[in-house]
Amino acid sequence: MKFVDGNAREKYNWMMSSALDPNLPTDAVVTESKPIAVAVASEPGGPSDVDLMLAIQREDADALSHLYDRYNGIVKALILRIIHNDTEADDLLQEVFMEIWNQAKNFSAEKGKPLGWMVTLTRRRAIDALRKKQAYARAEERFQAEPEQQPLAWVQNVTEDEIHAGDTRVLMAKVINCLPVAQQQVIELAFFQGMSQREIASHTNIPLGTVKTRLELGLKKIYDGLKELRDEL
Amino acid sequence: MSFEQFQNSARLYVIGALEPEELQVFESARKLYGTAAEDFIHQCYALHEAFALSLKPATASSAIKDKLMAMVRDRQGLSGGGPG
Repeated sequence: MKFVDGNAREKYNWMMSSALDPNLPTDAVVTESKPIAVAVASEPGGPSDVDLMLAIQREDADALSHLYDRYNGIVKALILRIIHNDTEADDLLQEVFMEIWNQAKNFSAEKGKPLGWMVTLTRRRAIDALRKKQAYARAEERFQAEPEQQPLAWVQNVTEDEIHAGDTRVLMAKVINCLPVAQQQVIELAFFQGMSQREIASHTNIPLGTVKTRLELGLKKIYDGLKELRDEL
Repeated sequence: MSFEQFQNSARLYVIGALEPEELQVFESARKLYGTAAEDFIHQCYALHEAFALSLKPATASSAIKDKLMAMVRDRQGLSGGGPG
């Protein structure tokens, strides 16, 4: 697997980290591990994500403002990928950052990085919203209308120029894009639509065992790809 | 369940894709493998970040941040909190 050149790499702050489950109690067992996640580089001289989270825990509104500026694009993209409605995505974006403010006390830097915590929280909220608002059926109809395009849409914005220019998104997309489309499809449905294996099997008319195998293989490839990225950088 | 099988299940677990009957087996193996299991599960949450970071950032309405910050400052006013 080939990635961006050394100069581009320097732009990124690849860090050993783990995402944190927002629902875990703060006194949960903390284990020593070597997680593989990456984080978006913060502006030079600016506060780190952890600094911002600690400030939010102290009810510093400016810190939340800063965190919002840094991550609203990623958070909204994730929400939009799940609920496919721009107005609802904006509403949920506001709710997610309000929840970050309210739940900040549950974040522990010892257990993971802020981005992972935010993404886990965001995905959960977005999938909940999807189901509660019964948008699920509408999303399903959209999917059925374009079953083959959906996995490709995941990385459709990646161009050769962007790959050469390099950014975190492109690197991540490249890892995912290495997967066969069939594996991308089941991961798409599981992660972005919150479907169970049985729901995916029913939705796609693929045997349950095949769904499971594709999910396992696809996730392992992404996981290994992230590890490879970490090792290279 | 071997540790390799546990690892496969852990990657499904963190994205919520384990079926209920698989979850029971997974939790048993999780107890069996103890700290190694917890370490691996924590690592698997990196998948969440990867999926989010693979997306092209979206543009939010500027009014959203204004509303958010107004709500936060209202809440600070109600609780008497705030920095300093």
